[in-house]
Amino acid sequence: MRALLLLALLLAAPRAMADSADITKILRGRYLATVGDCIACHTGPNGQYAGGRGIETPFGLINAPNLTPDSDTGIGQWSEADFARAMHEGVRPNGDRLYPAFPYPWYTKVTREDTDAIFAFLRTLPAVRNTVDRDTLPFPFSVRTVMRGWNLLFFSPGYYEPRADRSAEWNRGAYLVEGLGHCSACHTARNALGGDSSAAWQGGPLQGWFAPNLTNDARQGVGNWSVEDIVAYLRTGANARSRASGPMAEVVGYSTSLMNEADLRAIAVYLKDLPAAAPTPPAALATSDPAMRTGEALYVDNCMACHRRDGQGVEGIFPILAGSQVVQQPGTDTLMRIIISGVRSVATDGAPTSPGMPAFGWRLNDQQVADVVTYIRNSWGNQAPAASAADATRLRGLVAAAPH
Amino acid sequence: MPSTRRRLLAASALFGLAIPATARTLKEALPWSPNEAYPPERVVPGPWVFFTAGEAATVEAIADRVIPADELGPGGKEAGCAVFIDRQLAGPYGTSAWLYMRPPFARGTPSQGLQDEDPPAVQYRKGLGALTSYCTGRYGGRRFEALTPQQQDEVLTAMEKGEAKDPGADLRGFFEQLLNNMTEGFFADPIYGGNKDMCGWRLLGFPGTRYDYREVIAAPNQKYTLPPVALTGRPEWMR
Ligand code: HEC
Ligand code: HEC
Ligand code: HEC
Repeated sequence: MRALLLLALLLAAPRAMADSADITKILRGRYLATVGDCIACHTGPNGQYAGGRGIETPFGLINAPNLTPDSDTGIGQWSEADFARAMHEGVRPNGDRLYPAFPYPWYTKVTREDTDAIFAFLRTLPAVRNTVDRDTLPFPFSVRTVMRGWNLLFFSPGYYEPRADRSAEWNRGAYLVEGLGHCSACHTARNALGGDSSAAWQGGPLQGWFAPNLTNDARQGVGNWSVEDIVAYLRTGANARSRASGPMAEVVGYSTSLMNEADLRAIAVYLKDLPAAAPTPPAALATSDPAMRTGEALYVDNCMACHRRDGQGVEGIFPILAGSQVVQQPGTDTLMRIIISGVRSVATDGAPTSPGMPAFGWRLNDQQVADVVTYIRNSWGNQAPAASAADATRLRGLVAAAPH
Repeated sequence: MPSTRRRLLAASALFGLAIPATARTLKEALPWSPNEAYPPERVVPGPWVFFTAGEAATVEAIADRVIPADELGPGGKEAGCAVFIDRQLAGPYGTSAWLYMRPPFARGTPSQGLQDEDPPAVQYRKGLGALTSYCTGRYGGRRFEALTPQQQDEVLTAMEKGEAKDPGADLRGFFEQLLNNMTEGFFADPIYGGNKDMCGWRLLGFPGTRYDYREVIAAPNQKYTLPPVALTGRPEWMR
C-alpha cells in the first residue's frame, strides 16, 4: 500500500513539475504581452484579444485580428513556430505579409524564448469567435505582396544583439524599448511611406497629437528628466513635470504602469543614454510681437488659474508649462488639441486622480488658439516656432470628427 | 456583567462597520468628456424678437432715464439693456418655463417676488400697454419716448411711488420689474446682450469670469489691475 502511494507520487511528480514550469512560462508570457501592449490594439467590441479595433495608418484603417485560440477566427490552429515567424518576420502561416501597423519591425528583436512565452499565454485565453475583416486597405495597399517591397526598404529582421560595452541594465532597457515596447513607432517620425524617418527619437505628429522627442535634448527631449522622473511617468502616468494623455495614456494604462520597477528603470537608463538630437529652435519671440500680446491676454484670462502666471503649474495636478518638453516640440498638434477639446490624464494606481483640463474650443477661435500656443511656446524661457491659425483649423476639424 | 457585555457588543459593531469601510481607490470616477462645454447662446444685436418697434422704443427710453449716459460711460440704451430684456422675454424667462405656474395664485409677500399668473412676457405686454395709455392720456397723445427727459422722470417717479394708475396693469409692480431687469441687463455677462463692452463691470471694478485670486491674496493692499473679462473675452484677445 505504501509502495503504491510512493509510486503514485513518483508518477505525479514530473507532471506537477511540468505544470509549474508551464505556469511560470504563461505568467511570463502574460507579462511580456503587457510590455508589448498587445491588448491595446487587439481588443475590440467582442472582448480582450478578440480583435476588431481599427488601427489608423496613413493608408487607411487596418483591423487588428483575433488573437484568441478560436480555430476558425483566431489563431487556434497556429503553432508556436507560426507565431514566432509572425512576430519575427511579419508573415502569416500561409505566407501572407502583415502590415507594419502590427509592430513586427520592433517585435522582430524579441527572443524566441519570449515569443514562445507570449504564445503560451495567448493559448490560455478563452476562445472567442469573432471574424475580423482583414482587407480594409484600398488598392494598391490591399495587395499584401506590396509589403515585400516595403520590407526591403524599411525592415531589417533580427533578434536583439546585446552590447558588450554596456551594462546588463542598459541592455535590458534597449531590448524592451527597441523590441516589445516599440516606443519609436510613435517617438520617431514616420516618412511618407510609413517607415522610420532619419530623425530617430526626435518625435513626430501622431493621429492629431505630437509624440515628443525622447533624446536627451534639454529643451525638446528628456535631457532634464532624471531616471526617477521617467520611471514615475511610466509607472503612474504623471511626474512632477507632466502627465500622460492621448496615445501615451493608453501606453501607460495598458502597459508601462503594469511593468515591474526593474524594467522601468532599465528603460529609463537606456533612454537617458540616447544622444541629444533636435532641430534648433528659432529665437524666442519678443513680448511686443502681436501674437505674443494677444497670447498673453488669452493666457492670463484662460490658463493662469491652473498653470499659474509663471507657468509653474501646481505639482501633482497642473503640469508645468515653463521648460516643458510637450510645449516646445516642433509640431503644435498636441497643444492645439488639448486647448480645443480639453484633455484628461490617465488614471493609474500610482496616480488615481486623473485631473482633467476643460475644453476651450467653444470660447477661442482658431487665431486665438494659435496665439495662446505661440505665447506658451515663447514665454518663461521657452523657445519654439510660432503656431498658425491654419493648424488650429485643421485640428478643430480633426477633433470634431474623432474626439479621442 | 451586562454593561461590559453591551460595551463589547458595541465595540464589535463598531469594528464590523469600520473594517469594510476602509478607503477604496476610485478610478475615473469624475465624469469628463472631450469638447464638453455648455456655453450660453450668444445674443447678437439685430431685429427685436419679443418687442414691437414701439415697445422697444419705450423700453430703450426708460433704460436711458434709469441709467443715463454720463462721463463715466454709456447709458442703459447704449449698454444694450433693452436688447437683453427682449431676448430674455423671448426665452424661458419670458414664459416662466422654469417656475411652477399652476393655480391657486395667492398674493405673496414682497420678499417672495413675482407671484402672478402672468409670466414676465405677459407682464411686459400689459405693462407697456398701460404705460402708453397713461402717457398718451396725460401728455396730449404723446408716448413715453416722445416726452422730454423731465416728463419721463415725472412718469417714472409716479410709477415708483404708486401714483401712476392705469386699468391695464399695476404700474408700480411693473416699475419694479423694469428696474430689476435693467440692472440685470447692465451687469450680466455681455453674452446675453447687455453690459456692452463690460461697461457695467468697469464701473464697479468687477473682474468678470476670472476665478483664481491666489496671487492677489498673496499680495494684500495692492491695487487690483487686471481688466474685466467676459465669457466672450475682452478686446485684447483680438489682434
Ligand atoms: C499598434 C497596434 C498593435 C499592437 C500594439 C499589436 N498588434 Fe498585433 N496586429 C496589429 C494589426 C493591425 C494586425 C493586422 C495586420 C495585418 O492585417 O496585416 C496585427 C496582427 C497580428 C498577428 C497576425 C494575426 C493574423 O491572424 O494574421 C499577430 C499574431 C499579432 N498581431 C500578435 C500581436 C502580439 C503578440 C502583440 C503584443 C506583443 C501585438 N500583436 C501587438 C496591431 C497591433
Ligand atoms: C502609441 C504611440 C506611443 C507609443 C507606442 C509610446 N509613446 Fe510615449 N508618448 C506618446 C505621446 C503622444 C506622448 C505625449 C504625451 C502627452 O502629451 O501627454 C508620449 C510621451 C512620452 C513621454 C513623456 C515625454 C515628455 O517630454 O513629456 C515619455 C517619457 C514616453 N512617452 C516614453 C515612452 C516609452 C518608454 C515608450 C515605449 C515603452 C513609449 N513612450 C511608447 C506616444 C507613444
Ligand atoms: C481648470 C484647470 C486648467 C485650465 C484653466 C487650463 N489647464 Fe491646461 N491642464 C490642466 C490639467 C489638469 C492638465 C493635465 C491633463 C493631462 O495632461 O492629461 C493640463 C495640461 C496642459 C498641457 C499639457 C502639459 C503636459 O505636460 O502634458 C498644456 C500644454 C496645457 N494644459 C495648456 C493650457 C492652456 C494653454 C490653457 C489655457 C487656454 C490651459 N492649459 C488651461 C488644467 C488646466
